[in-house]
Amino acid sequence: MGTVKIFYKDGCPMCPMAKRLKDNLQENNVDVHYFNVETADGLAEATFYRVLALPTIVVEDEMENGLGEWRGIVPKVEEVLHVVQKT
Amino acid sequence: METTDLNLFVRTSEETISDWDRSKITDALIRETLIDHDTAIEVSKEVERMIRKSGIKVVTAPLIRELVNARLIEKGLESSRKMHTRLGMPIYDVDNLILHPNKENANVPHGPEATNLTLAERIKKEYALLSVFSQDVSDAHMNGDIHLHDLGFIDRPYCSGQSLEYIKKFGLNLPHSLSMANPAKHPEVLLAHLVKFSAALQSNFAGAIGWDAINIFFAPYLDGMSDNEVKQLAQMLIFEFSQQAVARGGQAIFSDINLYWEIPKHFVDTPAIGPGGKFTGKTYGEYEKEAQRFAWKLFEVYKEGDGSGRPFFFPKPIVHITEKFFHTQGHMDFLYHISDVASDKGNTYFVFDRGETAKISECCRLSFKLEEHDLLDAKEPWRMRYCALQNVSLNLPRIAYLAHGDDAKLFDLIADRFELAVKAHKEKRSFLEKLLSLGENGPLSLLTMNRDGMPYLRFSIASHLIGMVGLNEMVQIHTGEELHDSKKALKFGLKIIAHMNLLTDKIKRKEGIKVVLEQTPAESTSYRFARLDLHYFSPASGRVVKGDISSGEVYYTNSTHLNVKNHVNPIERVTNEGIFHPLIEAGSISHVWLGEAQPSKEAIADFVIKTFKHTTNDQIAFSPEFTTCNKCNRTSRGLSDTCTYCGSGDVDGITRITGYFTKVSSWNKGKLGELKDRYRNNEYFAERQEKVANE
Repeated sequence: MGTVKIFYKDGCPMCPMAKRLKDNLQENNVDVHYFNVETADGLAEATFYRVLALPTIVVEDEMENGLGEWRGIVPKVEEVLHVVQKT
Repeated sequence: METTDLNLFVRTSEETISDWDRSKITDALIRETLIDHDTAIEVSKEVERMIRKSGIKVVTAPLIRELVNARLIEKGLESSRKMHTRLGMPIYDVDNLILHPNKENANVPHGPEATNLTLAERIKKEYALLSVFSQDVSDAHMNGDIHLHDLGFIDRPYCSGQSLEYIKKFGLNLPHSLSMANPAKHPEVLLAHLVKFSAALQSNFAGAIGWDAINIFFAPYLDGMSDNEVKQLAQMLIFEFSQQAVARGGQAIFSDINLYWEIPKHFVDTPAIGPGGKFTGKTYGEYEKEAQRFAWKLFEVYKEGDGSGRPFFFPKPIVHITEKFFHTQGHMDFLYHISDVASDKGNTYFVFDRGETAKISECCRLSFKLEEHDLLDAKEPWRMRYCALQNVSLNLPRIAYLAHGDDAKLFDLIADRFELAVKAHKEKRSFLEKLLSLGENGPLSLLTMNRDGMPYLRFSIASHLIGMVGLNEMVQIHTGEELHDSKKALKFGLKIIAHMNLLTDKIKRKEGIKVVLEQTPAESTSYRFARLDLHYFSPASGRVVKGDISSGEVYYTNSTHLNVKNHVNPIERVTNEGIFHPLIEAGSISHVWLGEAQPSKEAIADFVIKTFKHTTNDQIAFSPEFTTCNKCNRTSRGLSDTCTYCGSGDVDGITRITGYFTKVSSWNKGKLGELKDRYRNNEYFAERQEKVANE
C-alpha cells in the first residue's frame, strides 16, 4: 500500500480540507505524513517535492516512487484511496 | 621637570620632527577618549618618565601612542585604550605587500595601485572591527564563527544592479565631476558613458556592478547600423570592460551584463528611450530584432576571445532562459550560438527564470527576483536600481563540531549565528546611513545623487545577504554522510537550509529589513574557515576538511554544493544541487567543470534545456581550462606546465575560480586545493558527443 504526503500551512484557504482528507485517510488505515511548510522539516520536504501550491498531496510506493499527486487542489478521499491501493 | 628639558625629538604623523611636548599626549587623551583631565596628565607624565629613563633620542608618534595605550591598560582603562588605539601595519607586512601579490582576491593584480588598495583595505578592516561592529560581532568574525565579507570596503555597500536607461535618460552628470555630459546621441558615446559610470560605481560598491537587459536597452541606438557596425560596437563594449585595468586598485571592473533573446514580458510595453534621451515613440517590444542582433554579435566576440584567443574575464554575460525564450523565433539558433561559446570559452552563464519569475543578476551568483513593485518600475526602467548592503557567511561545519551530533543544539546554534549575522547587518546599515545622510557633500555622494526624485541608491529596498559555507561538511560531521552519499543526507542538508530560509522570514517580519540567503562565492572564506577549524577543532576537522592538509591547500565545499571531487554525472549534480536553489532567494549556481573536454554545442544546449525543464536549478555555468603562453601568445585547452605550441614554461593557467575566470597563479591555497580535486566531466560529455554524432 502506498503512503501519502500532505503539504499545508496555517491560513491557506484550502488547507482545512486537506486536514479532513488526512483524517479520512487515517481512518482507512492509510499511512499519512502531514507537513507544515512553515517548519524546517515541512519546508525541506516540500522543497524536495517541488511543492509550489498548497495544499499538495503526493502518493508514493514503498520505494518512494511517485504514484499520483494533486497540486493546489484537494481530491476526494476515494480518488486517493484508489491510487494508494494500486500498489 | 619641564617637558622642554627633555632633549628628545618626535617624528610626527604630519611628516615633521618636533621637540618633545608632553601636553600633546594630554590633549589627545582628552580629545579622543572619555578620561578626565587629571588622569590624562598623570598618564602623560608616566610615559614621559618611561621615555626619559630609556635614554632614547628620537621617538615616533606611533610608539608614543602605544606607550600611552600600555599605561591605559595597566590602569584598567580598556575602553579608553580602544578609543585611543592606532590603526596601521608593521613595516615587515608593508614590505611583503609591496613585493608580493595579494591572494585573497584573484581579481586584484599586483602593482602600486593594488598595493594602495590592499593597504587601505587593511586599515579599513581594522577600523570596521573596532569601530563599526560591536565586540561580539567582531570576535565572531575573528575566530571564524562567521565571516563579514569585504570589511576593507566598510564604507560602501556590497554590490548593485541597474539599468542603462538611467544614463540614457539623465546623461553622465556625476556629483563633483569636472564636466557633465548630456544624454548620448550615438551608440559609441552611450557605451563610453556606460563604462565610465561603471568605473564610478565600482568605486562606491565593494563587489559587482550589474547591468540589466543591456542588449534591449542598446537596441534603439542600433537602428540603421550595419551588422559590421553592430559587431564593432559589441567588440568595443567587451574590450572596454575587460581592459579597464585602471579602475579601483588596478582591477578590471567586476561587471555583469544581463542579456535576453526575447523581450521579457515586463519590458514589452515599456516606452523606449533613444538617442538624446528622448522617447522614440515605440516600445521595447518593437526592438526585438535589434536587441537580438546585438546579443548575437556580443557572443560572436566572446567566441573569438581576446587578442590571444583567451576568454574575456569581464563583463560576464548572463543569459536569461525563460518560458518565453522557447516561444521566440530563432531561439534554438541562439541557444546553439551561446552554447558554442560556453563550450569553447566558458563565458556564458545560463540563468533560469521559470514560470512568471523575472530576475536581475549581479555579482558572482547574486540575483534578485523582481517583485510586484519592481515590475511597476519596469515601466520606467531607470528606477530599477538594486543593491545588497553587505554579505555575512556562516561557518556551518563549525556549528556541527560544537553540536556533537545533537539535532536540537545544531539548529539552536544556527539560529544564534544567524542572529549575530543580522546584528552585523544592522550595524553596517546604520554606519552607511550615517555616511549617506551627508548627502552630495559626503563620501558616498554618487549614491545620494538625485536625478529622478529619489537617491541613486534605493536604500529602503536594499538586501542584506546571509551566506553559508560548507553545508556538505556540516552534514558529514553531523550524520557521517556527505550530501551525495544518500537521500537521507541530502534531505538533512535541505532541512538546514529550510531552517535558515524560515529564519530570514522571521527577521523580515521582526526587523523590517530584507534579509535573504545567498550562496556565498566564498573565494577566500572557505579556505579561511577550513584553516581556522583545523586549528581549533582538530582532530575532528582533519577528517572532514577537503584538500591536502600537508600542503595547506585546504578548503570547505562552497555553500550548498556537493563535494567537487565526487564522480557524479553532471545532470545528477545539477539536479541535486538545484534542489536547494528555491530556498536561496538571492541566487545560486552550479558549476560544470569541463577541464579539457569540449562538448558540442548541441550537447551543451541539450543539457541547458534539460536543466530548465526538469530541475529547479537557478543557474549553471560550464568551465573549461586553458593554458596561455606569455612567449608565443597562443592559448591551448587544458591546464599544463608548458606551452603545447612552443614548449615555453612561461605560461598561465586560466579557469573559473568561483564566479569568474582568472589566472590560476593568482589563486589562494584553498582554491588551488579545490582545483586539484575538481571532477572534470570528460567521460559524460565524450559519451554525449558520441550519442549526438550517432543520431
